[in-house]
Order: sequence, then C-alpha cells, then structure tokens
Amino acid sequence: MTRLGYVAAAVALAVLAAGCGSASRPAQTGGSSAVPLSLTTAVTGPGATWAAVPMGAASGADQFWQLFLLPAGGSRWSLQTPPDIATNGALILAGQGGQGIIVGERPSLYLTFSAITTTRDGGRTWATLPPASGLADVPDALAAAPGGRLIALGGNQQVTTAGPGGGWTTLTTRYALAGTPAARACALTGLTAAAYTPAGSPLLAGTCDRAGAVGIFAYAGGTWHQAAPPLPASLAGRQVRVLRLSRAASGDVALLQAGTGPSASLLAAWTSDRQRWRLSPVFGLGAAHAESVSFGAGGAIAVLLSGHRGETLAGPRASWRALPPLPAGRTVTLALPAGGTTDALAASGSSLTVWQLRPGAAAWAKAQAIKVPIQYGSSS
Amino acid sequence: MPGMNSGLNVDDPTVVAAFRAALLHQALIILAIFAVLSIAWAAVRRPQAAGAPGARVGAAVPEPAGRRVLRMGFGLLWLLDGVLQAQPGMAAGLPSQVIEPTASSSPPWVQHLVNWAGTTWSYHPIQAGAATVWIQAGIGLWLLAAPRGAASRLAGLASVGWGLVVWVFGESFGGIFAPGLTWLFGAPGAALAYCAAGALVALPERSWQSPRLGRVVLAAFGVFLAGMAVLQAWPGRGFWQGISGGRPGTLAGMVQTMAQASQPRFISQLVSGFGGFTAWHGFAVNLFVVAGLGIIGVAFILGRRAVTRPALAAFIALCLADWVLVEDMGIFGGLGTDPNSMIPMALLAVGGYLAVTRVPAAAPAPAEPAAAPDTIAAGPGASWRDRLRPAAVRQSAATASLGTMVSAGAVAVIALGAAPMAAVQASPVASTILAQAVDGSASPVDAPAPGFTLTDQHGRQVRLSGMRGKVVLLTFLDPVCVTDCPLIAQEFRQAGQLLGGDAGRVELVAVDVNPLYSELAYTQAFDRQEGLAGVPDWLYLTGSPGPLRQVYRAYGVVSETSPGGAMLAHNDVAFVIDQAGHLREELNFDPGPGTAATKSSFAAELADAATQILRAS
Repeated sequence: MTRLGYVAAAVALAVLAAGCGSASRPAQTGGSSAVPLSLTTAVTGPGATWAAVPMGAASGADQFWQLFLLPAGGSRWSLQTPPDIATNGALILAGQGGQGIIVGERPSLYLTFSAITTTRDGGRTWATLPPASGLADVPDALAAAPGGRLIALGGNQQVTTAGPGGGWTTLTTRYALAGTPAARACALTGLTAAAYTPAGSPLLAGTCDRAGAVGIFAYAGGTWHQAAPPLPASLAGRQVRVLRLSRAASGDVALLQAGTGPSASLLAAWTSDRQRWRLSPVFGLGAAHAESVSFGAGGAIAVLLSGHRGETLAGPRASWRALPPLPAGRTVTLALPAGGTTDALAASGSSLTVWQLRPGAAAWAKAQAIKVPIQYGSSS
Repeated sequence: MPGMNSGLNVDDPTVVAAFRAALLHQALIILAIFAVLSIAWAAVRRPQAAGAPGARVGAAVPEPAGRRVLRMGFGLLWLLDGVLQAQPGMAAGLPSQVIEPTASSSPPWVQHLVNWAGTTWSYHPIQAGAATVWIQAGIGLWLLAAPRGAASRLAGLASVGWGLVVWVFGESFGGIFAPGLTWLFGAPGAALAYCAAGALVALPERSWQSPRLGRVVLAAFGVFLAGMAVLQAWPGRGFWQGISGGRPGTLAGMVQTMAQASQPRFISQLVSGFGGFTAWHGFAVNLFVVAGLGIIGVAFILGRRAVTRPALAAFIALCLADWVLVEDMGIFGGLGTDPNSMIPMALLAVGGYLAVTRVPAAAPAPAEPAAAPDTIAAGPGASWRDRLRPAAVRQSAATASLGTMVSAGAVAVIALGAAPMAAVQASPVASTILAQAVDGSASPVDAPAPGFTLTDQHGRQVRLSGMRGKVVLLTFLDPVCVTDCPLIAQEFRQAGQLLGGDAGRVELVAVDVNPLYSELAYTQAFDRQEGLAGVPDWLYLTGSPGPLRQVYRAYGVVSETSPGGAMLAHNDVAFVIDQAGHLREELNFDPGPGTAATKSSFAAELADAATQILRAS
C-alpha cells in the first residue's frame, strides 16, 4: 500500500468508527396519552370516611401509603393503616358497611400478590381475606358486594371473584370480555374498574377504542351485557375512558372522561339498576387533567385536577362546583364526609394536614395536623 | 446489570481481610518457589564460557532497542498493574467500580458479555482478585526476566492473551462500541496496547533485524492516529462545543466527570481546571487535538526520519499532557487498575521509532562448536522431544541463566494465581465469604431444638420430632414481606438444589413469622410467588397466632408490629438442627444486598452446614 493509501485507509476507518461510535438521537415521542389516575382516594360509607394517602418519600421503597379514618359525625381523622404489611405498593379501598373497610395492598418490591385485609370496627382489629393476584394499578381494582363477595381486577387484566371465606376464581379476562358481543361493539382496549351492582352482579369498566362507546359491562345470567350510560350528543364521537366505577349510596357511580387533550371533558353518571343512568353536566377539563377522584355520601364526587384545582359534584342533580385553590402539599386527597364539608388531606413526608371547607365558606381552614411515624428504610 | 455486583461495600472488612490473607499466603508460596528454584539453580549451574557447548546463541548480539523498550516498559506496566490490583478494595469493588461503569454505555450485547465476567468475579472475589494480581505480576516479571529466546517470545504471547481478557471483560472492548469514543479518554483501550506490544515481543527476532518492522508499526500507528483525529473532528459528536445548551459539551463533560473521582487534590484540581478551560475554549482545545493527532499521524505514515522524530516528541508530549489533564494519571481516581492508555501508547510509538532507527548490526554466524552428543540435543533446532530428554533437561538446567530461572518462577506465579480461580469455576455457587461479610460466621449451638406442631402448606399437621433422622434447616418467614423473606426463601431453595443427592436427607423448613397473615392461603401464595410450591422437602409451616408465638419465643425470634405502613419487624435467622433433633448452628440470615452473588453465597453456606452434619454422622 502506498503512503497515500495509508492515509485514505485511515480516513475510511475513522469515518466507519465515527458512525459506530456516534450516539444516535433518541426518537421523539409524540402525541398525548391519557394521564393515569392516582390511587389516592377517599370513600365515604354510612359510618365513616376512609382516605388512602401516599406519604414518606415521593416514590420507591420509602413511600408508605397510609389509611385515615373519619367516623361519621366526627371531626378528627385518625391513622388506621393496616398493620404488619408494607404499604409501599398503594392501598386499594373497597367500602363496607358501618365503620368497615376492605383494603387491598398492591404488589411492591419482591411481593407480587395482593394481601387483602379488613376491619369492621374502624381499624381497631384487622383480619385477613384470601390474597388476590397482584391488583391492577387503578383505584377500583377491588370491590365488595353487600353479601361479602369480592371482585378484583388484576394487573394482568384478569378479573377474579371470591365468595365469603372462599378462594379466588377467575371470572373473565380483558381478552375474553373483549370477544363478547357486548364488548365487541366498543372495541375494548383495557379494563379500568371493577364493581358490583346493588343486586350483587359484577360490573366491569374499561376504555373503548370506538369513539362514542362507553365500556361498562354487567354480568348476569352467565353472559356480559352492555350497561353503560348513553353519552350526551355533545360528547358523541369522542373516545371514552371510565376513570372510576364504584358503589354509591343506593347504586353505582361512574366518572367518565371523554376525549383527550384540551377538549377532554368529565361526565359523571349514577344508576341504581344499571338500566337508567342519570348524567351530570359536562365539565370541560381545558388544559387540566384529573389526578384523583374521591366519592362522598349520596354519590357525591370530588375531582382533584392538575394545577392545584378541585371540583365537586354534590350528587345526581347538582352542578360542578369549583373549590378554592387547594392547600399546599406534595399530595392532596379530597374527601367528602357526610355533612356537606369538603376535607383536603395535604401530605408532605410524614406530616398530614387536614384542611376543611365548610358549606358556603370561601377558603380552606386548617383543622388538624397528624404526624405519621414513617419507618424510613424498613422496606429496603 | 444483573449479577454484576456483589452489592458489598468496596471496603468490606471481611472481604478485605480475606483478600489480604489470600495474597499473603500466595506470596509466601511464591517466595518458597523462588527459594527452591534459586537453590536448585545454584546447585546444578555450570558457569559457561561464551562459545562453549550450550552457551546461548546470539547472546553476543544485543537485543534490539525497540524490542527492549517494549519488553521492559510493558513488563514494568504489568508489574504496576499487578500491584494496583492488590488494592484492598479491588476484590469487592472491581465489578461495581471498574467493570460496570466502563460497560454501562456499551450496547447490550457487550454488557451481556461483560456481565458474565463481572458475575464470575462477584461470586469469587477473593480468588478472582488474587488471580489477577499474580497473573499480571507474573507476566510483568516474565517479560523483564526473559530478554531473548523462546521464553521471551512466550512472555509476549502471555501478554497478548491476558491483555485480550482485560480488554474484553475489563475495558468492554476499550469502549469502541460505545458512543463518545475518543482517543483522549483511552480509546481503543489501554489493554489493546499491551496486546500489541506483546505481539511485537512475540515476533521472531529476525523480524527486528531490519527497519521494516518499525516502519510498519509507525505507519499503523499513524493510520490509527489519523483515524482518531477524524473521529475527534466528526460533526455532531459534541467535541467542538465547550458548552452546549447551557451544559458542558462532550469533552468538557467527560473531563469534569473525571475530576469528580476520588483522587489526590492536586490531580483533581488539575483535571478540574482543564475541564473548566475546555468548557470555555472547547473549540480551540478540540482543534488543537484534531490538528495534533492528524499531523502526527501523517508524519508517522510518511515515515521519514526528519518528520518522525519531532512527531514522536510531539506525540509523547501530547500523551503526557492527556495523561495528566484528562486521564488523571489513571491510577489515582477511584480504583485505578492501570495507568490508563497514554503511557502504553507512548511506549508503543517509541518502540516503533527505535525499531526503525536502531536496527542491530547483523550478528556474525556463530561457529558451530564441536559439541558432545548431549549438548546437541538441547541446542537450538532440537525438537521438543529431544529437549525434554533427561540429559537435555539436566544440561539446560546446568546452563540456565538467572533470567531463565526467574522466568520459570514467573510462570509459577501465573499458575499459582490462575489455579485457584480455575478451581472455583467448577463450583456453581458463590464463595461463602460473601455471606460471612454480610452476617458474620455461624454460631455453634448445642441444645435440644424446641419442639412444635404446626400446619404445612398442604394443610397437614407437622411435628418437628417427626423430622428426626433428617437434618433440618429452619428459618422464619413473613409471607407478605417485601424484601428479605423472598430472598431467604430463594436461598433455601438453592440450598436444596446444591445438596443434590443429599437433599432427601434434609428438610427445608420455614415458620410463618407474621401471626396476622397466618392463613394457609398466605403461605401458599408465598410458595407460588417464590416457585417453592413443587419443591420436595420444603415445608412452610403456619398455625394459629398463639402456637406460632410460642415457637417464636422458643427460638428467640422477634415478631413485632411496626407503625406507619411498615412491614412486621422480625429477625432474619436460620437454625441447623441435626438428625437427633439438636440445634447445632445458628446463622444470622439477613440477606444483605440480595444480589445473585450474595444469594448464592448464603445458599452455599446453608448447604455446607447441612452437608457437614451429614458427613459427621
């Protein structure tokens, strides 16, 4: 090889090496996807309001979910986190009568199944129910029927049920449900909630790929039936996601999001027989998105929006009402205890501050402060 | 990268003490080997006159200067590397502090390959650490001690072989498959220079008798440097920007990262200062580097003495500047394993230059002595079979030089380092030193094991007394535990696998340590989670809270509720119960970091404990 050849070879090699060694520009991700709803929530039953709040670190092994109780008619929240289990993976609440609650612990770290615990006396004593396969990352992954039956939505999109004192059996899967005549019309893409009707029939909700279709299905007579509310004409043509589906005082309540991006809207629907639904006024989200949803007595709904905003719906015949700017806190959980007040549980680290908004008040008032003995490092 | 890291602290005192002890023991053996070799050499040695039968052919001709520079330079570097490998933190720290960061920016297939080596090291840190020390020291000693002949060439080949191992596994191919490849930071890897030097040393001596070899070396070096210049100048790689988007550019960022490594302050200040300078004058610095590499490369390719000499001087100056200001001399930052790439690069260039400019005069053909039959057998040109005949060996020993004797000792040093590492490779599990580093050694116990009757995961009543005749490995597990218990369960499962044919004589038993979650459904769910449902001789026992708490008390196990959503607090412990129902050992069983290496180590510790009792009975 001539010297000129050496130089040419050097340049060629270098060009080749530069191609190998250059970092490729990461692909731009585009499009707006639905923001997942936080598992932070509160439920109000006849005897108490329960709230699940993430505390400690912002995420990871030092984030511990806490369970707080406000007895009906009471004014002080108390810490009632289920004992003897790490709550790093979030708590899923399923309301019971009286001061009862069923709590599912989502998988975390090396734990891959979900322990289920229950109390009937406001957290004084706890008992276990059969563990479920890992609960899905949605606030309505666990629900209870009045007779004690449980329904669980797993992270693998498998739906299981358990009778009182019995083990879990598979009811259906997302794929099986999507293949039924009832769900084919909606082009079901994923399950987001499980519940029971007042009569004890399983209810499932999900996201439909077909615009204008609402994915709520009831199981009766061995088959799945459409059980969704009709959409108002203004929302027809939008893709609908069922954010929440839960038991209300005398029936079920669903919160739907129609559309995505700036044109997205919220719509609540209530039913007592899954045939007739009452719809709320449509609420335009604008630039905001729903971060968490809580349920109050009589089918009331509180929605925490991005940007430290909140909206409430007192019930089927009410209109959306904007809350005053929410108090500061890394996580804020809205609760709607009986009596018309709205509580905001603002958590930062191991401190929880309860702010109260009395009916007709224009500003939040600090009502209580709770220090939680977080055991940092205990899960690592 | 999974498995790469033992998870132990680099300066873990147990590992450091074991590493030191291993090095000390092996050093004593090496001293003994050299003592024996010296005595034997002194006893059989016959001083040889030049030209006498058996005298070394070619001894009158000096070793080519270029070869001598490479042989001695890289011999000293290998020795230095061996010494650096003996740093206390190297045994536990090399995978996490050296291998893993080096591989982190390489493509997945490189990481996969390197992960295998890192895992192997983390499973046997003492043997791997010591092996590396002695192999590198041995190669260095061999290169220094063997100036000529087959032994010297073999030393060169050893340098190539081990250099390739280091280049692939220790340097992730010198980072040539990673983005940001640059000569300034050592591309294409210091170990590749060791390989190149070893290959040159391994060439037949006649290759050094003409300037052609030197010209080829310099030209190849020139091509390499010109290529590196183009790479450095390539647009879009960020080397031209001192600051880009408010953040340090590629070069400034790399230098500033290097400055953050723990190292003496004056080095840190130098590197940090240069990083700041590069941030402000990124274009000028890169232009200087690109021009420098390009001009030197072209000068080497041209090969004219008038330009190669100043080019060599410039290259050495550039190497030294880079070595200090960019590579922080290699040995001061963190766990330095070698002085990085610039010194080897400079040595290679000097070797090539000397191979051109200082070609040895042709040696006169040695007069063939009238040799006795036994001397001819060991002479040059004799077959290996002839050389291994007793008479030939005796003659070789009698005429061996000091260098030959030291070379033989160096080979023994390499073998002494490599043998234990090769031996532990036969074991599928990690060394128990990791478990001891986490929890200390097992405590011997001699007491009857408290009896209990509980329910296994299948709903059957099980008595401890019913397990007489078997060794029982007993622990306490929380079925809803999110950290330690699943790891301990895996360690028990692996211990069962390690017991092999003895597994049927050992019961692996866990007792539910969480009275709230004591339903069978929970022990069964835990078994499914950990893949223990079908494991024979595995029992996960539970019962009502009352009887469970009695068992906790009897075995001194704590089970306490912690507030605030924390796990149940309990101690991680394992007991070894012999066939007669006597407690024989208590092991702290906190699984520590829970890496593949520590899990394997705990499993080995359990299996060893059971096996010892079985063997003793």
